[in-house]
Amino acid sequence: MRDKKPKSDVQQGTLALMVLKTLEVLGPQHGYGIARRIEQISGDLLAVNQGTLYPVLLKLEQEGSIESEWGASENNRRARFYRLTRGGRAQLQAETREWNQTAAIIERFFAARAEDFS
Amino acid sequence: MRIRERWLARIGATSTRMRYDERLREEIEGHLALQTAENLRAGMPAAEARRQAVLKFGAVEAIREQYQAEVASAWLQTLLQDLRYAVRMLAKSPGFATVACLTLALGVGAGTAIFSVVNAVLLRPLPYVNPGQLVSLSEGRPKDGTSGDGLSWDAYTALREHSRSFRAVAGLAIHALTLTGQGEPADMSTVSVTPDFFSLFRVNPLLGRTLMPEDGQDGAAPVAVLSEGLWRSRFGADPEIAGRAVTLDRRSYTIAGVMPANFRTPFVGQTEQVWIPLAQDPLFSGWRTRPQTTHWMAAFARLRNGVSIAAARAEAGNVGAGLAQQIPAENGWAIGIDPLQQVIVGDVKTPLLLLFGAVGLVLLIACANIANLLLTRATSRSREIAVRVALGASPRRIARQLLTESALLGWLGGAAGALLAWGSVKACASRLPAGLPEFHAVRVDGAVLGFALVLSVGASLLFGLAPVLGAARSDPQAHLREGARAGETRGSRHLRSALAVAEVALAVVLLAGAGLLLRSFAHLLAVNPGFESASLVKAEVSLPRFQYSGPEQWRAFTDQLMARLEGDRGLHDAALAVPLPILDNAVSLPFVIAGNAPLPPGKTLTADFVSASPQYFGVMDIPLLRGRVFSPGDTATTPPVALISETLARRYFPHESPLGRHLVFGFPPNNNVSREIVGVVADIHDVALAQKPGPMLYVPFAQQPFWGAEIVVKSRLGAAEVGGAIRAATHRLDPGVPVTNIETLPQAIEASVAEPRFRTVLLGLFGAIALLLAAVGLYGVVSFSVARRTREIGLRMALGATRVGIRRLVLGESARLVLAGLAGGIQASLILTHFLSTLLFGVKAFDPATYGCVAVLLTAVALVAAYIPARRAMRVDPMVALRCE
Repeated sequence: MRDKKPKSDVQQGTLALMVLKTLEVLGPQHGYGIARRIEQISGDLLAVNQGTLYPVLLKLEQEGSIESEWGASENNRRARFYRLTRGGRAQLQAETREWNQTAAIIERFFAARAEDFS
Repeated sequence: MRIRERWLARIGATSTRMRYDERLREEIEGHLALQTAENLRAGMPAAEARRQAVLKFGAVEAIREQYQAEVASAWLQTLLQDLRYAVRMLAKSPGFATVACLTLALGVGAGTAIFSVVNAVLLRPLPYVNPGQLVSLSEGRPKDGTSGDGLSWDAYTALREHSRSFRAVAGLAIHALTLTGQGEPADMSTVSVTPDFFSLFRVNPLLGRTLMPEDGQDGAAPVAVLSEGLWRSRFGADPEIAGRAVTLDRRSYTIAGVMPANFRTPFVGQTEQVWIPLAQDPLFSGWRTRPQTTHWMAAFARLRNGVSIAAARAEAGNVGAGLAQQIPAENGWAIGIDPLQQVIVGDVKTPLLLLFGAVGLVLLIACANIANLLLTRATSRSREIAVRVALGASPRRIARQLLTESALLGWLGGAAGALLAWGSVKACASRLPAGLPEFHAVRVDGAVLGFALVLSVGASLLFGLAPVLGAARSDPQAHLREGARAGETRGSRHLRSALAVAEVALAVVLLAGAGLLLRSFAHLLAVNPGFESASLVKAEVSLPRFQYSGPEQWRAFTDQLMARLEGDRGLHDAALAVPLPILDNAVSLPFVIAGNAPLPPGKTLTADFVSASPQYFGVMDIPLLRGRVFSPGDTATTPPVALISETLARRYFPHESPLGRHLVFGFPPNNNVSREIVGVVADIHDVALAQKPGPMLYVPFAQQPFWGAEIVVKSRLGAAEVGGAIRAATHRLDPGVPVTNIETLPQAIEASVAEPRFRTVLLGLFGAIALLLAAVGLYGVVSFSVARRTREIGLRMALGATRVGIRRLVLGESARLVLAGLAGGIQASLILTHFLSTLLFGVKAFDPATYGCVAVLLTAVALVAAYIPARRAMRVDPMVALRCE
């Protein structure tokens, strides 16, 4: 359990960010819709294991970043629709900023050559 | 660690598992359905479409398990982390932790201790099979406003034979018979029962058998059933007891069986007692056939399944009406039916609930106090909280942390409180007033501990809410900007002041209640009973009735005994009487004034009846107002005479001298004897100190002897010495006659007020605790406010404020709190002490003196509590105050 955890944490953290962003862009969505959207955009990252999405959704809801209610899907099936809460929106902004910062740092770090340090 | 975590995870998960597991399953199903549908649209065959969807989704079980483990361990880890942190925080401020724990322990401990009594007396069902079906039967005269008298034999017979609501009806009468042959002769509490008694209560004997219907027939062999207590104390717990004999009033009864200790006759407190058939009772057996109706029998019944009390009452009404037609003496009487439990706890319910309410208030004060302490701490911790918020902790997370801390406090205080309750119950159980119907021992058991748990958890939620509310309102940015200064929001300051005001108000309510009870009790003790009890000792002498069977023998024995006592140095001031005032139950008898027009039917005059020797009035110092007291010349052969009390004379002979008039009355069967009034004596409190003297009748013991009497001796010797002398004199006449209940009259009168004393002492104690807690609370608020305003005070002093002015500033602030609390508390007391009114004696629920004292006391204590921080404020050095921060 312990040695597996960091890996799944990273994955889940990333996945959570993707969920939040998807909901921000598309508005209220059911789980399948979110999965499809992430699959479309991210290629095969989630194609392997769509199921991991749902624990993340439940956890985000527990933390208050998203909320859900019953609705009807396109082909009239009953489905649970998730929606971003105000807290979730703030969290998304904060995490986006953080992500950009981290990404920028890493990018600059990778771009650096030996002569830059001399 | 890993194993423990997993194990803990399993426990923690159960609470949330159900809900989220369901959600997860739903979502997975929905997802697979949608994916399958899409695969179908893409042209896959049905089976393949589903298979691909499942493949794409991944291992369903693994996902679920992983999720559950994560949720549970996160929840638990947070809890453990919070707990560890809470322990560290408490350990860091041991003073605060101790005060908070002690305060809570006082509240929870007092509440739990009183609950153990409430539980034993009011809540736990009576220890009989289906106790809800048991009812108490009584008669009363609705026109006179009386109820709860015993049944007449005729009413009992009518109910037994004609009522269909009851499965069984049983009657009993209680008195003491003399037990001899097993050590020192003793007065044995004897319950004489009708044949259905044991089957009605559905109890099985410990040994042998109970009484059968055949035992209740006239002419059956006399049998007796012993209580376990008696069996152990006097019969050495002999397992072969059945068939042996016990001697009661010099008559041999065959022992049929032994009843277990947990079976008690309702209204009988003794653990040592004996049951015999009513038909075998030396006194009561004769009362069954007496033509005239006396209401002497306690009676019980068991309702049939499904029969309500209302239905039984309606039917009893019909039975009573039929009875009144047959027997004129029953005219005007009505049969009452009440749940047995209600009748048993009737008298103690109000004072017990009062005490319970009082400890509730103490607990509330304790909570307010701890809430205040926590608020103060939260204010000084506001920076820490602000940092946490700034670092991204959600308000919920912070609230959870704070609540964990107060819950930990609650647990610690609750545990200490339970311990306190256990100790005090153990110490006080033997000192409970005798009037308490103790069917169940008062002790700390599972139910009581559960109550303590609920109390402490409830209390910790209550006082834990205050800092959470305070923290929720705080603005992290403001705190961080303020720098090192411990700031606080206006909201939490108001909350703290409100809590202090509430504490003062609650303390006022408790103190007012305690004050009223105290004044009542003082009034009770100050009552002049009408006789002089100092240096009086009394002892009870009971003659075995099968040997001393008639008035001549009773008279002969008591004459000899009194002659012996009078010859004894130091005992010559001796008298005898039945019954003694306050110590014994009063005997109320009907009387008729000879020569007056007959009273309307259904109306009778009654007065309390005493049979006394001529010396009685001198020994007891009851003043003679007119005529003469009894003389040795009033004997069985001279014309019957009587004395009346002042009240009787005033009420029934308002415009004439009662001397020479005749009254017709007497103890059955002498109830038709006409007696001449020879004197009038002053009133005495014969029933209780709290009850006004009523009309009384006295007759000479020589003209109305009994099978036993109370000997009263005025002597400078102690109770033991006088008792020993009376016992020696009695045993010289007959060694088989028991001499019991030796005590001084002051002691006995003292014991008669044990119950009001008990509740007064307890409520006084609660009032004192409340006062202390309120003072501590006020001190906390004021001293914190002074600490917070040190800078402001320094500034004021620098600008020219005097030290006296500063003191006035601080004391003024606390005076405002106290005044607000007093105002609220007095208003609440005016409403709440209304419930006390039945327990008050000699004071009104609104007693200005009591309220005045409470107000003065509270103000004084509050000023002392506020003076300490005020002095600190006066000593503030403006230079130091301005430079710091």
